[in-house]
Amino acid sequence: MYRYMYTTLGEKSIRSGHMEFEDPALTYQVYVDEVDVDEEGIAEMVMDDNVIAQVSRPGTSLRQPGVAQGGPSQGVRPMSQSGRPVTGFVRPGTQSGRPGTMEQAIRTPRTAHTARPVTSASGRFVRLGTASMLSTPDGPFINLARLNLSKYAGRGNLAKALFEYIFHHENDVRNALDLAALATEACQFKDWWWKVQLAKCYYRLGMYRDAEKQLKSALQQQEMVDTFLYLCKVYVRMDQPLTAIDVYKQGLAKFPGETTLLTGIARIYEGLSDMDMAVKFYKDVLHFDNMHVEGIACIATHHFYTDQPEVALKFYRRLLQMGVYNAELFNNLGLCCFYAQQYDMTLNCFERALSLADEQTASEIWYNISHVALGIGDMNLAYQCYRLTLANNNDHAEAYNNLGVLELRKGNADMARAFFQAAFILSPHLYEPHYNWGALADQVGDLQSSYNSVKRAVEAFPKHTDSNDLLKQLKIHFALL
Amino acid sequence: MLVPIFNLKLNHKVNPHMVTVGRYDGIHSSLTCATTAGKVFIHNPHSKKFSQEGPVSFASDSDVNLLSINQQVAALGAGRLDVNSDKDVLAVGTQTNLMVYDVNNNSDIFYRETPDGSNSITIGRLGSYDQPLVIIGGNCSLQGYDMEGLDSFWTVTGDNVCSLALLDFNNDGQNELIVGSEDYDIRVFKEDEIIAELTETDTITCLCEMQDTKFGYALANGTVGVYDRNARYWRIKSKNQPMTIHGFDLDSDGVLELITGWSNGKVDARSDRTGEVIFKDNFTCAVAGIVQSDYRHDGTEQLICVSTEGEVRGYNPATKDMAGNLMDTNFEQDTVREVSQRIQNLKMELKNYDQNTKAGSVAAAAKISGGGSFSAERPFPPGEFDKARMGVIPAATQLQTTLTVYPGDPETSPHIELFIGTTNETAVRVVMIFAEGIFEGESHVVHPQQSKVSTIMKIPIIPPKDVTVDLHIKALIGYKTSSQFHVFELTRQLPKFSMYQLLPPQAEVQEPGGHCTFQINDRISRVVLWINQSFLLQEDLACEGQQLSIAFLSLRGSGPLFIKIEQSGQVMIRTDDMDLAAEIIQSLSNFLNMEDLQVIADFPEDMEKLRQILVKVDEFHSVRQKLTAEMADHSNLIRNMVVRAEDARIMGDMKNMRKGYMELFNLNRDLINGYKIRCSNHQELLNCLKQVNQVIQKAGKLRVGKYKTQVISACRVAIKNNNVNSLFKIIKSGAS
Repeated sequence: MYRYMYTTLGEKSIRSGHMEFEDPALTYQVYVDEVDVDEEGIAEMVMDDNVIAQVSRPGTSLRQPGVAQGGPSQGVRPMSQSGRPVTGFVRPGTQSGRPGTMEQAIRTPRTAHTARPVTSASGRFVRLGTASMLSTPDGPFINLARLNLSKYAGRGNLAKALFEYIFHHENDVRNALDLAALATEACQFKDWWWKVQLAKCYYRLGMYRDAEKQLKSALQQQEMVDTFLYLCKVYVRMDQPLTAIDVYKQGLAKFPGETTLLTGIARIYEGLSDMDMAVKFYKDVLHFDNMHVEGIACIATHHFYTDQPEVALKFYRRLLQMGVYNAELFNNLGLCCFYAQQYDMTLNCFERALSLADEQTASEIWYNISHVALGIGDMNLAYQCYRLTLANNNDHAEAYNNLGVLELRKGNADMARAFFQAAFILSPHLYEPHYNWGALADQVGDLQSSYNSVKRAVEAFPKHTDSNDLLKQLKIHFALL
Repeated sequence: MLVPIFNLKLNHKVNPHMVTVGRYDGIHSSLTCATTAGKVFIHNPHSKKFSQEGPVSFASDSDVNLLSINQQVAALGAGRLDVNSDKDVLAVGTQTNLMVYDVNNNSDIFYRETPDGSNSITIGRLGSYDQPLVIIGGNCSLQGYDMEGLDSFWTVTGDNVCSLALLDFNNDGQNELIVGSEDYDIRVFKEDEIIAELTETDTITCLCEMQDTKFGYALANGTVGVYDRNARYWRIKSKNQPMTIHGFDLDSDGVLELITGWSNGKVDARSDRTGEVIFKDNFTCAVAGIVQSDYRHDGTEQLICVSTEGEVRGYNPATKDMAGNLMDTNFEQDTVREVSQRIQNLKMELKNYDQNTKAGSVAAAAKISGGGSFSAERPFPPGEFDKARMGVIPAATQLQTTLTVYPGDPETSPHIELFIGTTNETAVRVVMIFAEGIFEGESHVVHPQQSKVSTIMKIPIIPPKDVTVDLHIKALIGYKTSSQFHVFELTRQLPKFSMYQLLPPQAEVQEPGGHCTFQINDRISRVVLWINQSFLLQEDLACEGQQLSIAFLSLRGSGPLFIKIEQSGQVMIRTDDMDLAAEIIQSLSNFLNMEDLQVIADFPEDMEKLRQILVKVDEFHSVRQKLTAEMADHSNLIRNMVVRAEDARIMGDMKNMRKGYMELFNLNRDLINGYKIRCSNHQELLNCLKQVNQVIQKAGKLRVGKYKTQVISACRVAIKNNNVNSLFKIIKSGAS
């Protein structure tokens, strides 16, 4: 039996900032929600020295993907392109997962279209707050090099505005840090706001311990949701998810029902692959904010992958009611309709999805339509769909894998082999292509390749019964020789 | 013979002194050691047990879990911090911070900056604190943190702390903190208060708790020993250095033995009463640490020894039938060897007696023949027999010793002169002086050339510290040509303040600026008695009237010292040396049995220095912050460049790769230079902080009893609030 793969698409939505803006217009243009927007860069990921435990107990680290605790297994719920269970909501960080080598790290973002920055200090923020890349027609607004920071540090409100300008608009963290350090001294370390800003600078510079210290001291003076969120972000960077959850819970004790905090906990559990707990907290989020897109989408995804497409459909329709109108949503609706046996709606949804889709999403939609085709037994349509998927995105490993299976059914073993190999080279964390190629090699008598491949499959998914059986069988076989 | 019950190789180097064991999941013990490159590893052979059935395998590398600390680890400790949980926490100290970490949950419990560094860590209950504390000993400071990371215990000590131990020193049911430091002192803290101070002869590298009030100690010069309260039971000295000590009942007799791991790889167990070796074993390289734990999970505690190369041996305590015979060697053989040694000694003694009788008979013969004089001084008339070679000396020969203060002249520096002379023409051939803490290596031998041997000998002594020292003197007395000598043994005591020369009352000396005053309620004659005892005076000071004014000059060059006592009992000590004033106050209050003493002190020089240091500390802090930010920025840039260069390499763009790596190289060089600057900055900061702590400690020492603790805690508050003026006021007046 060969494995096909299913996938749904994540909702794409960026949470709007919940800060009050009272800064000069220039800053406002480039203000990004600091707490939410954070993508770990390649350099941080590969040359990570902030994590304490290199190998920690399962369920205590965000760095080991694929150790599912509760929730459906890997066999049912697919992994994202970097080896995490697919989440219902695309946000910075969901495409994490740590590649083993630099080469892998550099290659992955190119293939997976993740636009991962080289380091978090440089790329992402320059891109998000693009002002520092734009050239202003009549020279820079403020010439930072000529600024006497200590002069402005003592003038409370001006210093704050200036800081925001340097930090957000100029993206010059070092000068911002200098200013913040002077300013916090000028107000005798009594203003929590400056401490949070100091922490932001430290965070950007990768000095997480210093950031932690400042945030904790800020929290002692004034408890703010934002500060809690920032502190948790620091802990997540230090790969201490359980500490982060503790901090979130402390925050919740002060601000009961704060959805950002609840979402934070849910996200961490999701990162730990503890789906039951994640869904529990997403449900809590919805209890307090029933318009929470991320919560709805994640719960829907969870229901979809736990064989309850009808329930998932309910949640997706709720999203539609709320006014979310995009390709991903229609795609998911289509899939849910199909599995909930509402065939009349299925193709309509997919059609609408295609009409709204851009190139990348289109490939995913075609990939999903292929499942419908497989479901109704129309192999030709399925074949065409995979071809279209690859036409839109030629790094789609799942499509290669499934194409391989189709070719094999047609009896083209050589083609099938080529497709399987393409698939597992593109995404080594998927177990299906490894297993499929192993099974094929076993049949054609290439036992060595089969053994190697199946071993990789077991590595990717230790509990896959077929792979384990095949491995055992091969071992016995080798022992007999 | 006792053999290891398990033996494993961890394949990681282990830093000396940094070995501990903890039950991080509340059940299983894990050996935890610091290794190179700022990493800590946890050996956890039990984790596998859950996944695969069968016996626990003690072997592979995969049981080892590495934790990255990213800084040189300075100290490690494990223990229970939360009274409501049975899990141990791991405390890792580096030069700049302390991290307390929950290994099982991969989460920090707290993380604190410790500018004084942490040279030693211990976890446990102290005094009346209701929660266990993590106690770290840094440069002159001691800090205790509780579960929440609040530093509820803080005090200062005389020098850099090297070792810590918690035990019930005075049997009052509460733990005291034993602190060994670089100034050769072992201090016992009952919470904030020093209740005992024991002076040793070198840096105290290790301390360990033994039974009841006993504790073991080890020094950098190769000494190990056991104290019971203030009294030393025994000590031995070796040419190797003790790396670690631990109390463990290896022979199952219900009494802990002192287990020592040495720098040459030897491990030995010594009886706590006599220091006799009852067991030994050898590693191929130095021992890094010794701990005890139920490592096999079978209900008995094992002794676990770890070498610096990562070799681990575990020993079960001996069973009853093995009692007293843990060593490889045969008991009979040992006894035979011992007895034959004694026979040899007795034979030697007998031979000496024989020769003496022979000489006596020759003398008697000479007397009968009536030749030559014969007196008490000259029991033996000159005869053919070479009396001198025999080493026979007059029976009335006496050895005279005097200690005098020698103020020095252009050729020789000032010192204390020990004069040794005989009462007749016999010569002092060799003098051996044994005294703790004065000479390098504790003993001093004067052995002049044959031609320079005379009847007197003058030996200069310069005690480095003001302490009372017993000089055990052995002198070899005989005639110049003798080959055998008589040994004279005697003991002289060097008073505490011996390095001070009495100035004549009319001497014109400028009065020092620093002074301190306090009130005593005792008679002046008692004070005079104290002066006679503690200073080296040629003749005893007589007590005249109710006033006293006396002046000394320090031989160490720290200026004059005036002691004035008014009729009202007010004492004023004038000196520029705060340390000396503190020592005098401690010694005097001890002599007069004063429990509490408040002192008004004013040391303008020291205060000025302190003010400068505090300004410097501020500067260093701000420079450090700048440098750190710069480094973080650079390291971000470096990472960025590595990725770009690698990217170019993967794409086969060799030209850009070359360019990228060239840039990287340059930036890296800058970074290293920056790091060097930061290092020296940090070093100076440390020195400054150490001096601040020392000043606080001296300020405390100027007072006695409760005022002492008051001063230290008030200073602490002032420093925490960065209130320099109140700090000066506290040091001056003793209260905030």
